[in-house]
Amino acid sequence: MNFKYGILKNVLLLVLLLLIQKTFINILSLSSLNISPDFVMIMLVYIGVKEGKISGSIYGFLAGLTADFLSGTFIGLSAITYTIASFLAGFFKSENEKFLAGYFFLISVFASSFAGNFIYFWIYFQGAPISLPEVIIKYVLTSSAYTTLISLVYIVFPRKKKIERSFLGET
Amino acid sequence: MKRIGQFILGVKEYLILTVLLIFSLAFLFSNDNTQIRFLRAVAVGMFGTVQSGLSSIPNVFDLQQENKLLRETNIRLSNEVSNLKEAKLENIRLTRLLNFKEFSGMGLVSANIVNKSIIQTRNTITLNAGEIDSVFVNMPVITDAGLVGRVVSTSRNFSIAQILFNKDMRITVKSQRSRIDGILTYDGVSTLSVINIQKSADIIPGDVFITSEYSNLYPSGIPIGTVVETGNLDNLFMKIIVVPLVDFASLENVFVVKYIQNKERYALEKTFQAGKK
Repeated sequence: MNFKYGILKNVLLLVLLLLIQKTFINILSLSSLNISPDFVMIMLVYIGVKEGKISGSIYGFLAGLTADFLSGTFIGLSAITYTIASFLAGFFKSENEKFLAGYFFLISVFASSFAGNFIYFWIYFQGAPISLPEVIIKYVLTSSAYTTLISLVYIVFPRKKKIERSFLGET
Repeated sequence: MKRIGQFILGVKEYLILTVLLIFSLAFLFSNDNTQIRFLRAVAVGMFGTVQSGLSSIPNVFDLQQENKLLRETNIRLSNEVSNLKEAKLENIRLTRLLNFKEFSGMGLVSANIVNKSIIQTRNTITLNAGEIDSVFVNMPVITDAGLVGRVVSTSRNFSIAQILFNKDMRITVKSQRSRIDGILTYDGVSTLSVINIQKSADIIPGDVFITSEYSNLYPSGIPIGTVVETGNLDNLFMKIIVVPLVDFASLENVFVVKYIQNKERYALEKTFQAGKK
């Protein structure tokens, strides 16, 4: 029952974040730098770190495919990006959920987001007159940093404090 | 089996990732935009590079098959080369004969030699031209190089000719340079010689003997052979060794000259000879 509830919760949250991502993202986009935060990525990293590589990659694949079908262009690009990013997030899974607590979560978000964005932009800019270092500096690093910055929301989330206390051994 | 199961369980995360990535890539490559076309080109390039690298590793079974195929091809090509060489040589030979036929101004019948003997005392050649081709007894046989012999027997489609290397052959000849007459004979072993020429005659090695106008069987002026050696046969006559201009060993095609001896002259000479006796 708890397992089913967990799946339902994750699916609902992902659908909500996907809708936000596709609808209100312009509000948070930095048009001067051509970057925008990735809420879905943050959620997927959370799932990957909490539930492991298998869950992370399956949620990542489904979320990515949904995002691709919602956008209607370049089907499969988000699917491959999210699948790999959330699978990598699974490497941060530990018994005490250390990487869900405090600034460790930021590290996992940045690392996974960097990998995902690297794949996304590398494919996206294929055939374009822009070098790989330029893609990394202008798009991969900045997008990852911005997503990591937005993920600070999770740190101030009340549930996170409970996890953090658990990790720090508080009662 | 248990080990395999344990191994699969150990790598299940990666197996699931691989499956999901395959699906993602399948979706990705179903697109038809610039990026995917570029990626396809890169993928094809990489695949080609890997394939090219792997192709340098010899595959024993492939090599065996390839060797077999190459051997067969080699034999086939060798046969073709041989046939082509043969055709080329035939072409050269026939072209030469054709040119000769055009320039000779004589009525000629071309024929191929279907049988030949050149190491006996009385050597002959069999031609694939006979009476149906207007070939008759005593007609001279020639090539572009010179005199071969004369027809001695005919059937409807074939004929037999005596060649110079025949002990029965005696031809009236003339030195092309000094116009001295003699008789060409074959010793039955290996040598052609011109006899009945006096010791004082002007004959030197290199002189060419041709058919004489005294001959009733051959038109005059057909080249026969070159003098290679001169000496004394006895107190009165020279010994003259001649090498024929025709290469009998490689002879394949000839012409029969439609030349019939003058019957009136023949009858007169015969009657006169009989009267002398």
